[in-house]
Amino acid sequence: MATGTNQAAGRFWQVITFSLAALAMIYLSYLLPRLLPGDFVTATYASANVTLTAEQEAGLRAYYTQDKGFGDYLLKLATLDWGYSYAFLTPVSDLFFGALPWTILLLGSANLISMFIGFVTGVEAAWRHGSRTEKGLVGGMTVLEGIPEICTGVILLVVFAYNLQWFPAAGAETAYAEGGFFQRLIDMAHHLALPLTTLVLAYFPGNFLLTRNSMMMVIKAHYIDTARAKGIFPRRIRYAHAARNALQPIVTRFGLRLAFMITGALVVERINSYPGLGTLLFNAIQTRDLPVIQAVVLFSSLIVLCVILGMEGVYRIIDPRIGNAR
Amino acid sequence: MHVKLSRDLRQDPWFLIGLSLTLLFAGLALLGPPLAPFDPWDISFSPISPPSEMHLLGINDGGQDIFSELLYAIRNTVAFGLLSGFTALVIGVLIGAVSGWFGGFVDAILMRIADIILAIPAIMILILTASLFQPPPYILALILASLMWPTISKAIRAQTLSLRESLHVRAASQMGGGNWHIIRRHLIPEMFPLYLIGFAAKTRMAVFMEASLAFLGLFDPSRKSLGMMIAYALKYYYMEVWWNWLMPPILCLSLIIMGVTFLAISLEKVVDPRLREALVEKTA
Repeated sequence: MATGTNQAAGRFWQVITFSLAALAMIYLSYLLPRLLPGDFVTATYASANVTLTAEQEAGLRAYYTQDKGFGDYLLKLATLDWGYSYAFLTPVSDLFFGALPWTILLLGSANLISMFIGFVTGVEAAWRHGSRTEKGLVGGMTVLEGIPEICTGVILLVVFAYNLQWFPAAGAETAYAEGGFFQRLIDMAHHLALPLTTLVLAYFPGNFLLTRNSMMMVIKAHYIDTARAKGIFPRRIRYAHAARNALQPIVTRFGLRLAFMITGALVVERINSYPGLGTLLFNAIQTRDLPVIQAVVLFSSLIVLCVILGMEGVYRIIDPRIGNAR
Repeated sequence: MHVKLSRDLRQDPWFLIGLSLTLLFAGLALLGPPLAPFDPWDISFSPISPPSEMHLLGINDGGQDIFSELLYAIRNTVAFGLLSGFTALVIGVLIGAVSGWFGGFVDAILMRIADIILAIPAIMILILTASLFQPPPYILALILASLMWPTISKAIRAQTLSLRESLHVRAASQMGGGNWHIIRRHLIPEMFPLYLIGFAAKTRMAVFMEASLAFLGLFDPSRKSLGMMIAYALKYYYMEVWWNWLMPPILCLSLIIMGVTFLAISLEKVVDPRLREALVEKTA
């Protein structure tokens, strides 16, 4: 059953699926702007106060319509030649890579923290099934799960940044601040606190409920009784025997939830004016800066695809049985 | 199966709270706009005034009555969620049933497509289309639905595969029931509770997406929406207007999403037999 070829075929299909999804995204980002009525020159200058002479217009049009098809588009993408932002007048790739680290810092730490807390509390809650703590936790988490990031983000901002003034309301660092490495680190953490808390509050209930539900099923299994009969420490049973099997759903659902999470992260960055991709995208939408919108949309989707594919690999390591399940 | 299910559901407090919240907001969406005391696009009131007897929640920066605005916003947000969730449900159930029933080549192709769509982040496609074409909201709701169906159809397909072997379906097929007859009369009604989970989960996702898109300013600015109200009110959060202007849309959005979340969670609990067994055995 568990043959090596089977596993290789499963992984092969996975990679094909993700490549096709990536290709679909790239093609859409190529095709959609070309379906717009009119062309770029009329779109940009139609509402502007400058009136173009016929020659200027022809020149601009010649510059902007050097369209050489999809292959050329792919080549430009690969060489980071993503065009210029209309609003910032800088190359789009500079803007993108300037914002990317902040988003990775925010989303990555929010995910790690919420996975860890959600997993540990989920395992402990399932172990204490039926107790008052467990019921209270499940109830509280169900309610938290229903509050969207927009709402928690705004409430935290109003309470902690405006009313109590404990945390800064915007930015990722204090501008023009001078100080040592550690001061800078503390400053960054101080700015990160609000958006990070918002995202953790949004992601962690889902992780908790998933872990608890799958732990509930694992706990009944006979091998848990065996482990108990052998006199193994309860904590070791919980984490080494039961929790490893309960870990699967968190990892499998991660991919499904990532699209949802990205949406939340965009909004939370905007609420806290955190200088990541979400804020860049928001500003681009406000100024209708199409090259920036296009690049952020395309490349963040591609990053998401890579992350999901990577998670599939992690999933196979956690549960070697799944290699032949597909 | 269904009788027992509805009894189980009626005993679950989460289901009851979720159902009443959902019905409350569905009712507000239907009856809200006729009840609104003012035209929400009327800009003739004095901007940023606190609540009074005439204007229950005060006036916003554009001189519009916030309470009327809120009622219209609830309708738009709820309608977007329901339309998108329902369309995703129809596509998902049809594709799932067809894929599970016919199997083989059809199944392989449909599930491959589902996998590909599943990997694409829906919000990105929505942002791209919304910023390029500014389509009417219902088009965006349909695009979102066309990206959300795969999870539903996977669940439905798995259920179809097991139903295909059940006695009554085999009997129907041996008595000469055609493919469509069996899908329509046997498979689709049988899986009713499974839909509800999918419907609640997708509606939740759609409401959330709508609020986020509106918050990011991707809809027509004259269209009232909870996300857009939050975005505008947030610009003035340092003034003492946050409790009458910022809070109401936040509260409504949270309650709508909470309602559908509770429904989805309690349905999942009741319908998933493995989880229910685990819960019953431990408490008994």
